[in-house]
Amino acid sequence: MQKLSTLEILLAVFKRDISLALRRQSDTLGAVFFFALVVSLFPLAIGPETKLLQQIAPGIIWVSALLAVMLSLSRLFNDDYQDGVLEQLALSICPLALIAIAKILAHWTYTGLILLCISPVLALQFNLSAIAIEVLLITLFIGTLILSFIGSIGAALTVGLKSSGALISLLVLPLLIPVLILGTLAVDAATASLPYSVYLYILLALAVLASFFAPIACAAALRIALD
Amino acid sequence: MLSTHELSCQRGRQQLWGNLNLEVAPGELLFVKGANGNGKTSLLKILAGLLSPDNGQVMWQQQAITKDPYAYRDQLLYIGHQTALKPEMSAIENLTFLSNLHGLRYSETEIAKAFKQWDLQGKTLHLASRQLSQGQKQRVALAQLNLSQQQVWILDEPFNSLDATGASTLTHLLQKHLQAKGILVLTSHLHERGQDMTPPLEAVEQLLIL
Repeated sequence: MQKLSTLEILLAVFKRDISLALRRQSDTLGAVFFFALVVSLFPLAIGPETKLLQQIAPGIIWVSALLAVMLSLSRLFNDDYQDGVLEQLALSICPLALIAIAKILAHWTYTGLILLCISPVLALQFNLSAIAIEVLLITLFIGTLILSFIGSIGAALTVGLKSSGALISLLVLPLLIPVLILGTLAVDAATASLPYSVYLYILLALAVLASFFAPIACAAALRIALD
Repeated sequence: MLSTHELSCQRGRQQLWGNLNLEVAPGELLFVKGANGNGKTSLLKILAGLLSPDNGQVMWQQQAITKDPYAYRDQLLYIGHQTALKPEMSAIENLTFLSNLHGLRYSETEIAKAFKQWDLQGKTLHLASRQLSQGQKQRVALAQLNLSQQQVWILDEPFNSLDATGASTLTHLLQKHLQAKGILVLTSHLHERGQDMTPPLEAVEQLLIL
């Protein structure tokens, strides 16, 4: 027997969530598939008008990423609640808020990070310039992290409800609109060769805020759900 | 010592039970009995710190458990009537994860040894838990007891879905825990010819009927 430090416990939670995601590939890839599908249907429907496509690309990619993350959120805590693991997480010697961080980061890895990996390919369909794709990737990197963190609050609040998907979107989408606006503005600015760093800084600030407060809110919501 | 002070619990507007003053010293067993819906599980969850009571306090070593929850959780093993096993993960993975949550890591041989006491070995250990029978799942969950370093065990219906050999293994383990100055709180509805039966533990030190 060996004693584990807090960090090692969190690593165990993170690894477990990743391995569970790998075993439910249809669920995990569902969100990614949805993202790829929606983004690639637009250029087909709109036709080969380069100017128009370039203009709407950031919006479409961002909205699809937002919806894809929303889709995957409902299972973040609900599965653990259903089979009683949440009780054990709540009784761990490691604070629940920190465990929530591990779970959220795992969620980001199997949704946000994968979205990020396929988005350059998808962006090519819109004839985006290299710099625009680069900015798109940076904003999506920070943005999906914020989506996972803020979305987790919705997931924690709706734990135990039957059809939580719609409710999560209703709860969380208003909070995510600033992220959506900033993300698309940054890419727009980059496409028009204007300075875009200010949007990135604000996004980063939001990410810091979300990653600090969301886990605390999550832990509180989960304790209420168990009560 | 685990004790409660003026504990009471409500569900909705109805008071389930109230003014409970309990004291369970090391080496003692608290056996909670009562009809369905009388709040046995609620009491156990309150004692574990999962639910907050409407009134009163649960104390561990003369200190409210809300004051230093981590010191208490370090000494607590709670097994609810949900087995807390992930259906996609094998018995070994599940047990490893559950002990990791308590900050402990065991080697494969230690884990295999714990399972062996529950007649679980070979291929069964590597099957996804969803393929196990209800009794096997219960055995996997109870194998936590073999590895446990905690002093307080709170077990909700541990005898459920166990067969005769499983029940005797469990009784033996509980007996050993009490001898090692452990604290044990459990509910059970073992039935025999329609009558409630206390588990075959020699020392039912305290019987609480809700």
